[in-house]
Amino acid sequence: MSGTAAALDRTVARVLRWGIGASIALLAIGVALMVVEGVDPLGPPPPAFDPADIVPGILALDPLPFLWLGLIIAIATPSLRVLASLVGFTRTGQRRMVLVSLGILVVIALSVALSSGAA
Amino acid sequence: MTVDLVLVAGGAAAGAFGSLLGLGGGVLIVPLLTLGFGLPLREAVGVSLVSVIVTSSAAAGVYLERHVANLRLGMTLELFTAAGALVGGLVAFALPERLLAGLFAALLAYTALTMARRGIARGPRPAEASGPAGASGTPPTPATATDAAGETPGAAAEPAPPAGPADVVAGDATRRGWLTGSNPTSSVPFVASLAGPGYAIGRFPLGVVGSVFAGVVSALLGVGGGIIKVPLMNLAMGVPLRVATATSNLMIGITASASAIVYFLRGGIDPYVAGPTAVGVFLGALAGSRAAPRIDVRILRLLFVVVLAYTAVQMALKALG
Repeated sequence: MSGTAAALDRTVARVLRWGIGASIALLAIGVALMVVEGVDPLGPPPPAFDPADIVPGILALDPLPFLWLGLIIAIATPSLRVLASLVGFTRTGQRRMVLVSLGILVVIALSVALSSGAA
Repeated sequence: MTVDLVLVAGGAAAGAFGSLLGLGGGVLIVPLLTLGFGLPLREAVGVSLVSVIVTSSAAAGVYLERHVANLRLGMTLELFTAAGALVGGLVAFALPERLLAGLFAALLAYTALTMARRGIARGPRPAEASGPAGASGTPPTPATATDAAGETPGAAAEPAPPAGPADVVAGDATRRGWLTGSNPTSSVPFVASLAGPGYAIGRFPLGVVGSVFAGVVSALLGVGGGIIKVPLMNLAMGVPLRVATATSNLMIGITASASAIVYFLRGGIDPYVAGPTAVGVFLGALAGSRAAPRIDVRILRLLFVVVLAYTAVQMALKALG
């Protein structure tokens, strides 16, 4: 394995570790707050996700924004990993892998575009 | 104990068992949430996908750091698993729950059969956190990552590649353009450039088709799809089992992510259920991978085959209404 490939592996691994670490930390805080507030997970469904509620909710120590944020980071982490790979492949001039990375990001963008507003 | 803590405990049990038996979380979490907590199947699938992302990404990080996973091969194939997962995620909202339950029952039966055959085929052996199904997202600890990748060092379970490296590359390169070598921008055929130390990539088109299928299954049923991807890479494409398992873990993240986005944006993921479950599965899988070297899983596996078979019957009954 070449030095650049090994370096890219390490960079991508770091992105995954930090992303999942942050996600689990936020989810754990959310769960702890759920326990404190006595939230029943099988009770009525929570209000739909609204980005505007995140910061005020976190400041109010409401469990829901912590959980939303943790879930979003978890779902976004693999895409961030692809983004990190894209940068690495671009720097090392691996054009075909750049195209592959872009293709994956296009599929992810399509997931967002085709699902937005469908709730 | 409150329901949220019961969910954490249930997730932890699923994560630990999955880790010990080489299964991903999805195949255990979905029945747990539907049959145990009465959640609609589609909602359970959304929650399961998040748990699968968390555990597989954590594992993939360790595998990459140890240079076991093949990043270039994984990314190339995940382009197709992600496309399949996008289609599967969209289709899942159009399919009746009973049909999904029927498909899940079939998956459980297949998994039970695979585990039973592995149990029969192998002699007594200490704990394993490996095998095809083990690709579904068990976070290995730094100390156990290599074993968790699917092989005990020196085990002679690796099948030979379906064709010699030179045959594969040279044969394909004369027939296909961009994919395998007539691209004027590079003298190295693309598929050949995906190879790793000591192995070449064979039957790439089959890998593409199988990857799309794995993506659809993952999105429909909330599983990582390692049970398809690992045999595909190992048996069909000639990738060593350890590398295939690690690379599958890497691919699972983006596969599950493509469909989890669909579930999330369509209101199919309840954070009050997903949060405790994901935390539980992560902690359970971590504990399981640490305990794996000290536990004899033969009896556990047999017990689990029975549990999976029973769950398959319950799911089938749910499908039949």
